[in-house]
Amino acid sequence: MKIIHVFIGFVIVALIQIFVPLQMIWQQEDVLSSGEVYKFKTRPIDPTDPFRGKYITLQYEMNSFTMADTTYIQGDKIFVYIENDDAGYAKVHSLSKTDLRLDKDYVIAKVTGNHKDVINFKLPFDRFYMEETKAYDAEKAYRENNRNNTQNDVYALVHIKEGKSVLKDVIINGISIQKFVEK
Amino acid sequence: MGSKFNKELQTLVKDKVISPELADKIEQYYATRDIGKPNKLFTVFGIFGALLIGSGVILMLAHNWDEFSRTIKTILAFLPLLVGQFLTGFSILKEKSKTWKEASATFLFFSVGACIALISQIYNIPGDLGVYLLTWVALCLPLIYLLRSNAVALLSILLSTYYALEIGLWRFRDNTTPWLYIVLFLTILPQYWRLIKTKINSNTLTIFNWAIPISITIALAAFIGTSDTLGFVMYITLFGVLYNIGRLPVFRDLKVFRNGSLIIGSLGTVICMLIFTFKWIWSEFPDNPNYNTHEWYMTLVLLAIALLVLGYSIWKKGWRATNLFQVTFVVFWIVYFLFSTFGALPVILMNILVFALGISAIKIGADKFDFKILNYGLLIISILIACRFFDTGMGFIVKGILFVLAGTGFFLTNYFMLKRQQKISKQLKDLQL
Repeated sequence: MKIIHVFIGFVIVALIQIFVPLQMIWQQEDVLSSGEVYKFKTRPIDPTDPFRGKYITLQYEMNSFTMADTTYIQGDKIFVYIENDDAGYAKVHSLSKTDLRLDKDYVIAKVTGNHKDVINFKLPFDRFYMEETKAYDAEKAYRENNRNNTQNDVYALVHIKEGKSVLKDVIINGISIQKFVEK
Repeated sequence: MGSKFNKELQTLVKDKVISPELADKIEQYYATRDIGKPNKLFTVFGIFGALLIGSGVILMLAHNWDEFSRTIKTILAFLPLLVGQFLTGFSILKEKSKTWKEASATFLFFSVGACIALISQIYNIPGDLGVYLLTWVALCLPLIYLLRSNAVALLSILLSTYYALEIGLWRFRDNTTPWLYIVLFLTILPQYWRLIKTKINSNTLTIFNWAIPISITIALAAFIGTSDTLGFVMYITLFGVLYNIGRLPVFRDLKVFRNGSLIIGSLGTVICMLIFTFKWIWSEFPDNPNYNTHEWYMTLVLLAIALLVLGYSIWKKGWRATNLFQVTFVVFWIVYFLFSTFGALPVILMNILVFALGISAIKIGADKFDFKILNYGLLIISILIACRFFDTGMGFIVKGILFVLAGTGFFLTNYFMLKRQQKISKQLKDLQL
C-alpha cells in the first residue's frame, strides 16, 4: 500500500474519531437547547449505597407505575410517557413497550420488577458527575436533604426531547448542588 | 556489543581457540549488523511512555473540573485527540520509524477513550460501560492496520475482553450475549496471522500467543448464560481447539513457553477432564437438555473448528504424530452424548481417559527427554489418585499405599530417564572421540 493511501485511510479514521464525540455533543446540546425541562423529585437513597467515585447516584420518586400487565418483565425497555403534576414535578402519564406516538414527552427506561400490578423501572439519567473533591460532599448533602425531605425540595433538572434526555443539574433548596456543597 | 561478549572474545584469543584477526572480524560483524535497524528497546519504551501519558491524561480529565465552562471542558476533551491524530498522521506521512508509529498510535488510542469519557461526563450521559468500551475499540481498530501497530492490537484485545465480561457477565441481572466480541476479535486476527508469517520467533508474537487464548478463554464465560452444564462442554471443546492450534505445523519450532495456546489448551483439558472423573458432576446434568439455545449452536461451531484444526494437523503430519491430548475432546463428546445415561460407565471411562492422558504425557516426555512434560504426566496421575480419595470408600491403608506408590513412581521415572539421558550423551561423546 502506498503511503498516501494509508494516509487517506488514516484521515478518514481520524475524522470518524472526531465525528463520533462531536455527534454525542450535538445530540446532548440539541436536547438541552430545544428539549422540554422537567423536574424529577429524588427520593431518599439507601444510606449504605457505597460512594461510587466521582459521580453521585440518583434515585427518583417516579420509579413505578400501577398497571396490571404481566408481560412486562425485568430488563424490558419501555417508553415512559411523562407530564407535569400540579406542583410542577414530572409524573408518569403511561407506560408502553412500543412507541405510542402520543403528544407527550417520553424517556426510555428499563423494567426492574413487576409485582402486584406495580411495574418498577429505572430512569436512564441516574448519574451526576461531580468534581472529584466535591463528589463525596455532594452525595452526603444529597442524602441528608433527601432524608429530611419534608419540603420536597431536592430534584433533578432534566431536559427531554424525542426520548433523549440530558440531566442538567441537581437542585437542593433552590440552588445547584455544585454551589450547595461549596457553602 | 556488550563488554561481556568482548571479554569472552579476548579469552578465546588468549586461549588460542580463535585468531586475533577472527576476533576482530566477529567484533566488526556484530558492531555493523544492527546499524539502521530500529532499536527494539526504544520502541518498547516509546509505547510505555505513550501508555503512561495517555492514561495520565484520562485520569486528569476524570477529575471533572467544575470551574471550567462546558465549552472549555469540551475543547480540553478534544485537545489530546487532535494532538494524537496530528502525531499519528505525521508518522504515517513522513514514514517515521516503528517506534514513532507504535507510540503515536498508543497515545491516540488513549486520547480517543479520554475524549468520549469526558463528553459523557460533561453531559452526564448514563454510564453504560459496555457501550463506551465498544465505541472506544471500534474507533481505534483501523489503527492496527494503518500503522501495523501491535500495541493497539493488544490494547484492543484487552478492552474487547473487558467488554465481553462487562455486558455478558458482570451486569447484575441484565446480562446479554456479547456477540460483538466475536466481530472485534475476528478483526484483530489478521494482524496476528501477519505476525506468525513474518516474525515467528519474536517476543511480540509470544505476547500475542498468550493474550489471544487467554482472551478467548475468559470471554467464553460471557457466552454461557444459564446453560451451566453445556458450559463445560463448550470449554472442553474450546481447549481442544486451542491445543490443536498450538500443535499446528506453523508453531512446530516454537519453544513450549512461547506457545500459549498449547499450554492453556493442555492445562484446560486436563482440569476439565479431572472434574468429570467425579460422580456428582454427571448427576448434575439435566435429563432433557434444551438444544435450541445459542449456547448449543456455539458449541457446535466450536466443535466444527476443533475438528477442522485436528483434521488439518492429521492431514499434514499423519496419524502417528497425533497425541491423545489432541483427540480428548472427541472422546469426551462421545462419552458425554452416548454414554452419560449408563450409570457409572461415563465416570469409569473418564478416569481411564485421564489416566491415559497422564501416561501419554509421560511417554511424550520420555521420548523427547523432556523432564517438564514427564513430570506433568506424573502430576496428572497423582492428582487423579488424590481426587479418587474424595469419592471412594477405600481404607486408609490402601490410600496410603497408593500415595507411596505414586511418590515412588515420581522418583523412579525421573531417575531412569536421567540415567538413560546420561547413557546416551556418553555414547554420543564416545562416538565423537
